[in-house]
Amino acid sequence: MSVLGQPTPRIDAASRVTGSARYTGDVRLPGMLFARVLRSPHPHARITAIRPERALALDGVKAVITHQNCRIVWSSGDSRNTRYLFNNPVRFVGDAVAAVAAIDPHVAEEALQLIEVSYQTLPFLLDSEKALQPGAIAIHPGGNLSPNEAGVRQPEVYRRGSIDDGLRESELVYEGRFTSAHVNNAQMEPRVSVASWDGDELTVYASTQGISNCQRDLAKDLNLPLERVRVVCEYMGGGFGNKNQCHDFDLMAAVLAQQAGVPVRLELTRKEDYVAVHGRWATHQYYKIGVSRDGTLQAIQLRGYSDMGAYRKSSGSIAGIELYRCPHVETTVHPVHTNTAVAANYRAPAYPQGVFGLDSMMDQIAHELKIDPLEFRLKNATRAYHDELPYTSYGLEDCIRRGADVFEWRKRWRRAASDTGVVKRGVGMAMGSFAARVGRSSAVIRLDASGRYAVHVGVTDAGGGAKTTMAIIAAEALGVPLDRVTIVSGDTDRCPYSIGESGSRTTNFTGYAVVEAARDLKQQIETRGLPTGSVVLIGSATPEPVIKGAARYSFAAHFVEVEVDVEVGGLRVVKYVAAHDSGRIVNPLTARSQVKGGVTMGLGMALHEQLLYDPRTGRPLNAGYYGARVMTHLDAPDVEVLFVETQDAHGPYGAKPIGEPPIIPSVAAVANAFFNATGRRIRDLPISRERILEVLA
Amino acid sequence: MKAFTNVNPRTLEDAVSALTRSRASGARAVVSGGGSDLLGLIKERLVQPDIVVNLKTVAGLSNVRADARATTIGGLITLDALSREAHIRRDYQGLAEAAASVGTPQIRNVGTLAGNVCQRPWCWYLRNGYACYKNGGDRCFASSGENQYHAIFSQGPSYIVHPSDTAPALVALDARFRVVGPRGERLVNASEFFVLPRVDPARENVLQDDEILAEIVLPPAVSSRRSTYAKILDREAWTHALVSAAVVLDMDGDVCRRARIVLGGVAPVPWDRPRAAGLLEGQRVTPELAAAVAEAAVSDARPLAKNGYKVPLTRGLVGRTVLALARQ
Ligand SMILES: Cc1cc2nc3c(=O)[nH]c(=O)nc-3n(C[C@H](O)[C@H](O)[C@H](O)COP(=O)(O)OP(=O)(O)OC[C@H]3O[C@@H](n4cnc5c(N)ncnc54)[C@H](O)[C@@H]3O)c2cc1C
Repeated sequence: MSVLGQPTPRIDAASRVTGSARYTGDVRLPGMLFARVLRSPHPHARITAIRPERALALDGVKAVITHQNCRIVWSSGDSRNTRYLFNNPVRFVGDAVAAVAAIDPHVAEEALQLIEVSYQTLPFLLDSEKALQPGAIAIHPGGNLSPNEAGVRQPEVYRRGSIDDGLRESELVYEGRFTSAHVNNAQMEPRVSVASWDGDELTVYASTQGISNCQRDLAKDLNLPLERVRVVCEYMGGGFGNKNQCHDFDLMAAVLAQQAGVPVRLELTRKEDYVAVHGRWATHQYYKIGVSRDGTLQAIQLRGYSDMGAYRKSSGSIAGIELYRCPHVETTVHPVHTNTAVAANYRAPAYPQGVFGLDSMMDQIAHELKIDPLEFRLKNATRAYHDELPYTSYGLEDCIRRGADVFEWRKRWRRAASDTGVVKRGVGMAMGSFAARVGRSSAVIRLDASGRYAVHVGVTDAGGGAKTTMAIIAAEALGVPLDRVTIVSGDTDRCPYSIGESGSRTTNFTGYAVVEAARDLKQQIETRGLPTGSVVLIGSATPEPVIKGAARYSFAAHFVEVEVDVEVGGLRVVKYVAAHDSGRIVNPLTARSQVKGGVTMGLGMALHEQLLYDPRTGRPLNAGYYGARVMTHLDAPDVEVLFVETQDAHGPYGAKPIGEPPIIPSVAAVANAFFNATGRRIRDLPISRERILEVLA
Repeated sequence: MKAFTNVNPRTLEDAVSALTRSRASGARAVVSGGGSDLLGLIKERLVQPDIVVNLKTVAGLSNVRADARATTIGGLITLDALSREAHIRRDYQGLAEAAASVGTPQIRNVGTLAGNVCQRPWCWYLRNGYACYKNGGDRCFASSGENQYHAIFSQGPSYIVHPSDTAPALVALDARFRVVGPRGERLVNASEFFVLPRVDPARENVLQDDEILAEIVLPPAVSSRRSTYAKILDREAWTHALVSAAVVLDMDGDVCRRARIVLGGVAPVPWDRPRAAGLLEGQRVTPELAAAVAEAAVSDARPLAKNGYKVPLTRGLVGRTVLALARQ
């Protein structure tokens, strides 16, 4: 019987739950030192002097690095500016100033207190729009608007049709301003790196979403040939986009280990994780949307500002417009620097905040036009990418229709503010789409006389279940039971190139390579027979699929019912239906978990998470799980998951991404349900009790 | 964290003398219950003790004893044990509910009642090391800063809120605190245990540095008395109260004879509302009366720039809590 499509427990579940799994934080090497990082207490300051002598004199301290003796560029830390491991000036509270390696973590921490740093404080900026005002201090030479893809200091612009004509010719034009807050990825596993040198060969035990890109970046930044760098990550405890590529602490561990001549372990605290790595970019979004009286979209204009924090690690896009069919579109997005924590990739990086603004607007327009928001979506939902390219497979309309049926939308939906009780019920919906890319990855399958198929793939399994997914795909492609397959993963010495576990690409890229490697192996078996004795057969593949003349996307529609207690401002989710087109579902068990997890994260962003800064000192006030109010088990609602399995000709067996899509519609869906319950719209995230009581006052 | 020496006393006398001795030698000593707050403070270097006196090794401080004159609770009882104690659940339900509402199961498994009452405020300026009154400085950063979680009842100079969930319940239930120190012991009324910033901006209670909160003494159970604790937070668990209310009612049929309403999350100390509670006395508790009580509970609130929402929140909470308890 085929295993593909069967709910299959993770093949490494037992080792994970019994504690036998060796996570990066569990790695202990002989003679290993422990490192800590000294961080700037100022949002913007020039270091005028730095004296590590007293720290170095402390018993047990083996190495101290600062911007004076370590000039390494951390290339994946900024795509536009030169970002060093240690920067001068420092540009946000938490910017690294020095790192210390010592015989234990306590001595290392003690040593941090002994490093003398003189700062000349500089004016600082916390708000992305203020950062663009004339006369604002420049955080990087050239100004606070970060250059676009062409390297020009201009916003990113997308256009189709003529926005001026479209708005002029629209019967009705609606405007709105929305903001979203900086939220942290809040993955469970803290950030940790263990670096060890053997002569001029470096091994880094990393907690990474991509051993291959981490290896590439380490080699580049340390100026080493690729083959002298080994990256190992046997088990991984989550990242949601902020553990891809190599990080400054990986590089610091490597440099300290080199200086000290012994392995070095560098682990960040939860607070450091919140302020010193990155979260999701906060946005300001201004919309102008033109429609005809029957609710047909005519024009969408977006002017947006994305707060990238002190360095530019990612696109800063504000996405969602591609969900709608519309002849005239113009988006102008400004990625801006401020003296705050860096913002970059976090699960569907550009989407939940963009869809919050856009789908709140659409919901408002449907309301003003007295159209059921479901009908409004069905009327205006995208049928071709950017109204131009056909989709390779298209399940958005089915997601909307079938999700609405299961949710019983037509029974539950009433005009906004129909409920007169103290606890008001309301429903909302929103849509999502996410690029289902294909591309290069490798796989090697080794078969010997024992009859075991060892599948070598460079995945780390960031939480989505990649090891299990690869095993299922291999078993299916080879036509063997799952227990004949072993996965060899998480080690650049033993695994071929794999795309990082980001962009929801692993199943589509590496899974496809597994299918191709299996095909290669099966051909060899056909001609040479099953191996006997010492014969070993090796199948391998590095496919580089491309799609021409079509766009490939995953789709989703979410439906939510909430209860809003207007006296005490509480919002509770009472029903949630998530319908997803992710093509063929490889493992319904882990796919469902992805949806539930994504929805839960989205609700946290919608309702209470936020990294807050003190306006006078520029310091973050609530870093960490407690302060930033991440979701708890008690906050997570029941989520009914529905898969609309479209047939797609690409990817392994037609599988499309499922990791990132679920967070996309959730924020907007809840915001719209709040509006439907109360007749008031909250335009600034999070929709906290505080804001609820303010708009209802 | 800075290195420190841990001391495991067997008796309260040993604990007190450990404190006085270290103090005499110029060392900084603190006591620890479950350590769930203290350890965080030490890690952030907000407290840098040389000696930690671990009260968990003191015998006999984690039981509940009841006789005709009083119910006595050892200060070292864990919040979890307190919330499950049958006698407490029956006769002092509001206290059991308050203990059960704290943080998470992990916190309740290690956190003690005395530690919960004596925990430091969770103001983010204090916890981030700002040189505020509570950190030995001379200003309150919250008064004109990010004050969404701060006091709506305070005449300053500090605008923290008292963080303890059990404290409002203990005040409402007329508890007395047995405090032991080098000069012997004293019994302090719960309502006089907590001090306003006006009196001492650096402290939250009357304990001297060498004093220990040993036991909590509750008046004997009264069959006509009922109590409850209601807490509102901005997620379902794992945070302190935005606003909370401990309510005690002595009922005679459906007429209220005596009432006590003490609020949490709104002032630097558990905030007693005698005037609002007084409206209930001798009355049947109707929705209209509960609304009037709720209004009276907040009529003199003076919110800061960002915490105005706490006024309707408190009003809503008090009204529904009083009504629900009266109808229980
Ligand atoms: C994530 C998190 C969430 C929390 N949520 C809540 C919440 O919802 N509600 C709530 O009320 N609290 C909450 N707390 C605080 C927690 O309840 C307290 O930390 C705990 O109850 C304190 O008990 P403890 O025994 O661990 O105290 P400790 O940490 O040991 O001590 C706390 C303080 O009291 C002093 N102290 C302890 N015992 C005595 C004594 N017998 N005599 C004199 N002084 C003493 C200590 O010196 C220290 O300053 C939370 C804490 C955390 C970390």
